[in-house]
Amino acid sequence: MIEILSVTGPASIQDLGRFDQYRFGVGTSGAMDDVALRAGNILLGNDENAAAVEIPMMPFRVRFDRNIAFALTGAAVAAEIAGRAIPPWWRSYARAGDILNIKAMSHGARSYLAVSGGIDVPMVLGSRSTQFRGEFGGLHGRPLRVGDILPCAASTAAIGELGIEPAGITLARPNAAADETIVRVIVAGEYDAFDATAQDLFWSSSWTITPQSNRYGYRLQGPAVKPKEPVEKRSHGIVPGVIQMPPNGQPIIQMRDAQTSGGYPKIATVIGADLWRVGQARLGGKLRFEQTAYSDALAAEDEMSAYLDRLRANMRLVEETRTCR
Amino acid sequence: MPIETTDIARLAQILENSGVDTIEIEEPGLTLKLVVDTRPRIAASASPAAATAPAADHFVTAKADVAGHFRAAHPWQDKPFVAPGQRIEAGAMLGLVKIGLLYAPVVAPTAGIVDAVIAENGAMVGYGTPIVRILPHAPSNPLN
Repeated sequence: MIEILSVTGPASIQDLGRFDQYRFGVGTSGAMDDVALRAGNILLGNDENAAAVEIPMMPFRVRFDRNIAFALTGAAVAAEIAGRAIPPWWRSYARAGDILNIKAMSHGARSYLAVSGGIDVPMVLGSRSTQFRGEFGGLHGRPLRVGDILPCAASTAAIGELGIEPAGITLARPNAAADETIVRVIVAGEYDAFDATAQDLFWSSSWTITPQSNRYGYRLQGPAVKPKEPVEKRSHGIVPGVIQMPPNGQPIIQMRDAQTSGGYPKIATVIGADLWRVGQARLGGKLRFEQTAYSDALAAEDEMSAYLDRLRANMRLVEETRTCR
Repeated sequence: MPIETTDIARLAQILENSGVDTIEIEEPGLTLKLVVDTRPRIAASASPAAATAPAADHFVTAKADVAGHFRAAHPWQDKPFVAPGQRIEAGAMLGLVKIGLLYAPVVAPTAGIVDAVIAENGAMVGYGTPIVRILPHAPSNPLN
């Protein structure tokens, strides 16, 4: 078990998401940075869909009540286990009573704490992810609080410390600036409702991520991008990654806890391979949109898969060497 | 994977650094055997090794236990894991060896004070390559 000693923002339990209930209006939820969640689980030899703790704000402190291997991936954090510093994207080992202290986040927006065997909360509608809107899944369908006890799978034998190259390094975009995330998007249904000037404004602006941004969606601030004439649409199906343009001309990117339908015009959609980059973009940071063809979006997906495949292959090699010795 | 001449040069360097005198690599259609000449060299023997030997005995060396590229700092962190003069505990992390996408830690075998980081950042290291020289805490001469 893990006891929460200190929690700052809305930390929650997330796996990859809830994918079979969309047609009933149940959103996917799931880790905002699915690449980091998979990587943490790969490091521990877990099922890649095993549930972990998504931590959006520091400090965050937990105590382990048993010997257990854990991994920290996602944002770059300053963390210590029993007083020893842990580098980013790292697998370590806690002894019963040890305290993990995640003190600060130097870049990125969400850290993932995965444990050997995964966080063992009940499956609800096919997933362990917390669904904030519906208040189910995860631990009692709500953000974690001080004193919460997270059930873990069985304790594990001691396992060596090991790190992996963060996805942000392997999959770095060539023209990315320090505080600006470039996000590749495909134009969406109502793109043509905007004239060339409005479209240019959408592409050329550096959008600020406002404090009204969270797991539901990111509200961006910049010059108003308005359609040629008001677009009135009935509510229709939308997915995480869709960029809506409400009447005030300030875009909203739907994220993992998004509703399954909406009526605002859609100007573009973030490609699947870049959704984790948005999930790691900080409040107050900047986003810039880069138009991408469907084929390039698939190529980006392949590139992301190749990174995860290499991780899996490298980890298998480590396990084989261990058994050979 | 074909073996390049530069790989052979690097392997030879690793053998020499780690004190291993022979390695044989066999792959389908290819056998490579490297033997390092470990006989004392005339020119080298001219330097009075005895003068530095006793001092060197005080040190403990942290070595790499896998082959890869040495990293003195995590790529997301500016500060290296350790610097000369720094006091460390046994088991402290001294650096990383990068193999593919993996970062294997180089760990301090003993508590003490870092005397020098011997391996160069980014250098290819192998099993047994000295990474960090440590002046251990002597029980008879407590430093704290």
